[in-house]
Amino acid sequence: MTEVRTRSESDPSSNAPALKVDELEVVYTVRGIDRAVLRGVSFEIAPGEAYGLVGESGCGKSTTAFAALRYLPRNGRIVGGHISVAGTDVTGMTDRELQQFRATEASMVYQDPAQAMNPTIRVGAQVIESFTLLGQTKAEATQSAMEALRRVRIADPARVMDRYPFQLSGGMQQRVVIAMALACKPKLLVLDEPTTGLDATVEAEVIDLVHELREESGAAVLMIAHNLGIIRSLCDRVGVMYAGKVVEQGPSGEVFDDPHHPYTVGLLRSLPRHGARKAESRLSTIQGILPQIGADLPTCVYVDRCPIASDTCRTVEPPIVAIGGDAARYTRCHHPDRLAEIVPDAVSVAISVLAPSETRSDVLELSSVSKTFRQRSSVVPALVNVDLTLAEGDTLGIVGESGSGKSTLAKAILGIESSDAGGVVSLDGAAVPAATGDRSTAAKRSMQMVFQNPDSALNRSWSVRRILLRSVNKLTGVKGKEANDRVEALAAHLRLTPRHLDLKPRQLSGGLKQRVAIARAFAGDPRIVVCDEPTSALDVSVQAAILNLLAELQSEQKTSYVFISHDMGVVRYLADRIAVMYLGRIMEIGSTEKIFAGPNHPYTEALLSAVPSLDGNAPDRIPLDGEIPSPANPPSGCVFHTRCHRVIMGLCDVTEPGLVALSDDHAVKCHLTPAQLVEPLVIIGSSSR
Amino acid sequence: MTDPIDADAVVLAGAVQASERQLARRENWRLIRRRPSFVIGMTIVAVWVICALFGDLLAPFHPLDFRTDLNAGPSLSHPFGTDKGGRDVFSRVIAGARDVLKIAPIAAVLGVIGGVVLGMLMGYLRGWFDTIASRIVESFLSLPVVLLGLLAVTTLGNSNFVVIGVVATLFTPIVARTVRSAVLAERDLDYVTSARLRGESSAFIMFREIFPNVSGPIIVELTVRIGYAVFTVATLSFLGAGPPPPSPDWGSQVSDNYNSIVSGYWWSTFFPAMAIASLVIAVNLIADSVQSVLEDS
Repeated sequence: MTEVRTRSESDPSSNAPALKVDELEVVYTVRGIDRAVLRGVSFEIAPGEAYGLVGESGCGKSTTAFAALRYLPRNGRIVGGHISVAGTDVTGMTDRELQQFRATEASMVYQDPAQAMNPTIRVGAQVIESFTLLGQTKAEATQSAMEALRRVRIADPARVMDRYPFQLSGGMQQRVVIAMALACKPKLLVLDEPTTGLDATVEAEVIDLVHELREESGAAVLMIAHNLGIIRSLCDRVGVMYAGKVVEQGPSGEVFDDPHHPYTVGLLRSLPRHGARKAESRLSTIQGILPQIGADLPTCVYVDRCPIASDTCRTVEPPIVAIGGDAARYTRCHHPDRLAEIVPDAVSVAISVLAPSETRSDVLELSSVSKTFRQRSSVVPALVNVDLTLAEGDTLGIVGESGSGKSTLAKAILGIESSDAGGVVSLDGAAVPAATGDRSTAAKRSMQMVFQNPDSALNRSWSVRRILLRSVNKLTGVKGKEANDRVEALAAHLRLTPRHLDLKPRQLSGGLKQRVAIARAFAGDPRIVVCDEPTSALDVSVQAAILNLLAELQSEQKTSYVFISHDMGVVRYLADRIAVMYLGRIMEIGSTEKIFAGPNHPYTEALLSAVPSLDGNAPDRIPLDGEIPSPANPPSGCVFHTRCHRVIMGLCDVTEPGLVALSDDHAVKCHLTPAQLVEPLVIIGSSSR
Repeated sequence: MTDPIDADAVVLAGAVQASERQLARRENWRLIRRRPSFVIGMTIVAVWVICALFGDLLAPFHPLDFRTDLNAGPSLSHPFGTDKGGRDVFSRVIAGARDVLKIAPIAAVLGVIGGVVLGMLMGYLRGWFDTIASRIVESFLSLPVVLLGLLAVTTLGNSNFVVIGVVATLFTPIVARTVRSAVLAERDLDYVTSARLRGESSAFIMFREIFPNVSGPIIVELTVRIGYAVFTVATLSFLGAGPPPPSPDWGSQVSDNYNSIVSGYWWSTFFPAMAIASLVIAVNLIADSVQSVLEDS
């Protein structure tokens, strides 16, 4: 241990990289067999630099992060290469040396802040402990803890320290975890998907915070994220990983604007960007699927999915090709000059567009639908007087923070939660009973749902065939061979092969599972399909295929979608109209073009500004102060006035505004005039991203 | 129209995953067979099952046959000795396997069936039914099993049917509690919502959709309950609430003869007691192996 200390002291480490990973190879032992996860990963992070690793799930980015601090799970093992942090070799450290190293040199922030804290100990005690570990006395540590919490922009540290973790919101918990991680003034901070479970608005706050803290503390950052927009806004440089190798690296702006590896190109093209719409083009997808960990791979790991692969790629290890004479900006490809041959997609035809929605009849109509949950003495209005219509073949996008009532709205439409008496849900102009159980078979058949998580949505004991057959039997009344034929036709339509029908859900990949779930929803030719975040559990290339599929099915069968999502790019791509919800109320509703063109409700304005942009021209973020108020105790007047940046006190906190039409098919629930809504804002305290 | 996801690659990946899954299942079976506790438990149970099926052929004497040598120690002609009535203990222990191997598994199966139905209803329906049933289950659990058993048998008379019914009824609330908590974790999953959306009945959702997903804990519960049933049946017959006296039941053999231990005639108590212990331990060894393999996978 002393040796480690002297080494790091003798080396002032001012010019040693904060993290140097050199040809790192890691295996996981699964059922006695070593399976390669990292196949020679190399990169360097300079002191104070922020480096991002991106790639789809299973590419090894989290393993790299864990390996960097020697936090690998018990069945993981480093079998080759070296890692050094601030000039100190980490690869060969003993347990005691590691303990010392982690306490003083490097820290890690995980995806789920709730799991990073002990639920039975007050927040304060946990933060104080991270300072007493450094040798401070109890009094000093308490002082330091207060300061640390203030540094992560917690306004009232004493109050927060007195609470238990579960009493804090997700964003607040993540701030506390970051404060603890920074306690030892680490030279390296590793962030593994730190914002994945958080709302876009909270995510933006955490990203801003990391940005500011990095400037203050000078710590180098290794950031793992699947959201490329976050990486772009936060990281100086980025490494794109695929199957355990870094296939492309460079400054994040350059890599995202001018990718030089076929995988990076495919990844970026599968995202709905630049305001892409379903009526304009299909999304590009990447052929094939990610290889399993431990699979034997050809010399170029990407060759099986690469549209421009040649025979050389299978026989000769692709060289590291420096781009623009900069050794740190490279691609691992034989043919970086042939990228232009990657056509956006072989079937990049626009999906046929239906007649304008005005000429089509409304398939769904909600008029003053409310849902009030009553638990003992408390009354929680989760949905308040929602009015909306959905035309045949249209998609209505529903957006809003968690707790805004999106899912309750979906459940009320489907009758999973029966809405309060007084409101009416009409299907094709006829009112249907509030509860699913009371609805006719025809009504049930007309409304189906696609869930967020296919693992939970498909019965894991049933085969795919049984899942689909049961829905066909139950919804269409067709039995026997005819039903089986229908199942096979349905599966073929969703590009599932007959082989898949006899498998159990767990034998399928995430994308295939979601196809089965969609096939089930379409078993009875529904009129309306409610999709609750159907792609948020999927990788981007799979998401693109699922979105294409939904758009195709819609144009063929004139199905209407109610599409809930937190991803503005996805909603913009698929939705014809968008409703923005807050505290169970629709704050703004209108056609997608008008919502994105503005003027907007101040809440929508804040939501749109919170989206981390992949295109590098992010507008200044409008901070949403505080948390969503409890629906059990909504603010007076306009429910948004407590967090509104355009609030007019004396009016907004007294009178609840009605829904005011700004133009044809665009209305906001706000007192302000259209001119007032677009007045330029002076944003205080927002970083220049 | 071209396929955005290459069908061949997907099929290949599916095949790889499928074979891996089968491998895992075969691995499970191999793991359980390799456990010494499972092998020992199965061997002991097999011995008793053979005794129960072919006892008449194996036993040297008739279990109720009175002989002249009373309380004779173990010898070549009477390996386990004779009891105070001069009956061959070895033959009686072999014959005793038949009753217990009939009563205990039937009682355990009935108790588990009852517990599954009750637990399913409690966990799936929730609401007032769950509240009331939970209180009843708790009150059952707070009473000593043997006391309730004795009470029931003395009121209803002692026949095999009564003993089976009593043990099954006593096990039902215990199993119900396990099943209820397993069902609570399942009922909020989206596949249940999806079933409701297509208009399935509650019975279908409980027994066709949810049941296969909670079968693991139910199998474990069943093996554990068989062990307890052997023990409970033996206890009841020891206390005189089992099959009537001359029958070669293990529990009644122990209770008939234990007061001759002080006179030095230990064998007429020791061997039936060992029979009970060996069967209970064997079943528990099996239950432990099943549980740990199911939990690991």
